[in-house]
Amino acid sequence: MSALAVEDLHVWFDLPGGRELHAVQGIDLALEPGERLGLVGESGCGKTTAILAMMGLLPPSASVAGRVLLAGGDILAGGDRTMRPHRWTDIAMVFQGAMNAFDPVRTVGDQIAEPLERAGLAAGRAARTRTAELLELVGISGERQDRYPHEFSGGMRQRAAIAMALACEPKVLLADEPTTALDVMVQAQILELLVRLTDELGLAMVLVTHDLPLVSQACTHAAVMYAGRIAETGTTRELHHAPLHPYTRMLFEATPDLRGTDAVRSIPGAPPRLDEPTVGCPFQPRCDRAFGPCATTRPPRRTTEPGHLTHCHLEGGA
Amino acid sequence: MRAGWSYVGRRALFALITILVAISLNFVLFRLAPGDRTSALRCQGCTQEFKAQVRAEFGLDRSVPEQYLVYVKETATGNLGRSFVTQQPVLAELWKPVRNTIPMVLLGTLFAISLGLTLGVVSAWRRGTITDRTSVWSGLLLYSLPTQWLALMLIFYAAGPLGLPTSDIADPYLAYENPGWWPELVDRLQHMVLPAATIGLVLFGEYTLITRSSMLEALGEDYILTARAKGLSNWQIVRRHALRNSLLPIVTLIFLSLGFILGGAILIETVFNYPGIGLQLYESVTERDYPMLQGGFLLLTVSVILMNFLADLLYFRLDPRVTE
Ligand SMILES: Nc1ncnc2c1ncn2[C@@H]1O[C@H](COP(=O)(O)OP(=O)(O)OP(=O)(O)O)[C@@H](O)[C@H]1O
Ligand code: SF4
Ligand SMILES: [Mg+2]
Repeated sequence: MSALAVEDLHVWFDLPGGRELHAVQGIDLALEPGERLGLVGESGCGKTTAILAMMGLLPPSASVAGRVLLAGGDILAGGDRTMRPHRWTDIAMVFQGAMNAFDPVRTVGDQIAEPLERAGLAAGRAARTRTAELLELVGISGERQDRYPHEFSGGMRQRAAIAMALACEPKVLLADEPTTALDVMVQAQILELLVRLTDELGLAMVLVTHDLPLVSQACTHAAVMYAGRIAETGTTRELHHAPLHPYTRMLFEATPDLRGTDAVRSIPGAPPRLDEPTVGCPFQPRCDRAFGPCATTRPPRRTTEPGHLTHCHLEGGA
Repeated sequence: MRAGWSYVGRRALFALITILVAISLNFVLFRLAPGDRTSALRCQGCTQEFKAQVRAEFGLDRSVPEQYLVYVKETATGNLGRSFVTQQPVLAELWKPVRNTIPMVLLGTLFAISLGLTLGVVSAWRRGTITDRTSVWSGLLLYSLPTQWLALMLIFYAAGPLGLPTSDIADPYLAYENPGWWPELVDRLQHMVLPAATIGLVLFGEYTLITRSSMLEALGEDYILTARAKGLSNWQIVRRHALRNSLLPIVTLIFLSLGFILGGAILIETVFNYPGIGLQLYESVTERDYPMLQGGFLLLTVSVILMNFLADLLYFRLDPRVTE
């Protein structure tokens, strides 16, 4: 049974003037314990919205449909009531811009221990010991738990945010661009830390990022999002070497080559607006392989290998 | 440890310097005012010699710098002179009405804090609902109404039905009956209710609006999303995270308004004929009682500065980021 499965997840935001923005348009994902899924896509394609929806954390202006299965049970169905018991104990998150994820007027340790107390896992002295352990796990001295967030550097705060996410030993970790805004050295350290921790703890992780090379390095699986939909998902190897969707191929081509032989290519054009319905394939205006049905018919879901899915009319690969 | 004492020391020094500036300004302002004690002497037989004699008696014939030095020195030792009217020491004369004002102002402020903060928090949490709209509108209304008008409305519409006195601080006939401390206390409180309610209502509007907006700001912060993700209940989120952060600006506001209120009580105390510092100052102005006025204004200034200082200290306690 998957650690986390998402089925046909939709999110709409109410906009002023009665309009709607269809930010997530039916995505499916599945993760086994120990798997790391890289969720990539251009800015605004709905990555953050999708993972916030998985924990029921969207603002009231959002409506959500679909199913989010944790160990088989749908946690989305009953709203906050079914979601709350699972928050942090089964599914935890490292937020985009985790710099501000800590309350400035409470100590870091206090905030790490908070969910432990809430879930009845540890309190008082035991919670302090556990907090120290967690900080040590991410390479911060346990004594620093009595410090305030502003006394931590950016990289340390990010590590502390990871320690906080691991507090209740969740089975699923959602990490939203956990390394942006950090310098390159620290980025590499944090990433290595996440990989090591997920291996050691058997965590399933969704790693949201813009950074494709990072996915190749760190993730077993990848999902490419475009305009609120999953363009293609499969193992990182499959997506890299045998992409089925032209967008996947172009993303890899647009990535600077480590050997520096190819010039960096960017993908011309811009993604479609999400507050208007799209006809046909949303990638069609930018696609170099677009043909007959692309402009008029929404591409069906197709699969070649088990677990390697795409939404594209092309049949022989991109 | 934070460099706590150096912060406190610096704030204290700053407060002292401000007080000195206030004393000097106070001196200058009163020299600039038209007329002196002798121009209020309107008796028929007041000859020029007599006026000169009075001027000499009060040191008004000396040079201005001399007067200034004397003023600063005497103020520093707590001697604010004698009231022209009663011939009693100013400090003691001021203390009597201040003693009446403080409990009244505190009562009103407590009322405003407890209701304003509660309503502000609830209203932010239930943003956009009827509760929210009602409290925003009532807050705006109360905040924008002229104080004295509000006081009059209370006299017209609340005093009668509630059987509350509208003037003075105690029933003058009660003392003759020698009824014991309990009825006297009740009587005092009854006289305090309407002026306190006026202050309370004005502040309540302000506190509600400001609590609401600072609460809304706090609720939009990333750490609130974290708290929700950690599975905290709504109440826990408000109590543990949103409230403390949104209180930071409110604390300053409350202390500042406490400082200003001694002066702001002039209108209210005049309407209710409540013998507090406001009424006293009003009377001193009409009497041209310079020593009382100088003392009174100094007292108001010092109370503002002191409250400011207290606000700084409390802010320091509440916000770990404050070190510089
Ligand atoms: N609260 C909101 N109200 C209305 N629209 C929103 C809201 N939040 C996000 N959106 C819209 O939903 C779409 C997806 O946004 P989202 O933040 O999920 O993108 P993202 O893939 O995480 O982008 P980035 O890489 O920049 O973080 C965007 O078009 C955005 O404008
Ligand atoms: S469906 Fe057509 S337009 Fe869309 S990605 Fe595939 S080939 Fe390109
Ligand atoms: Mg995002």
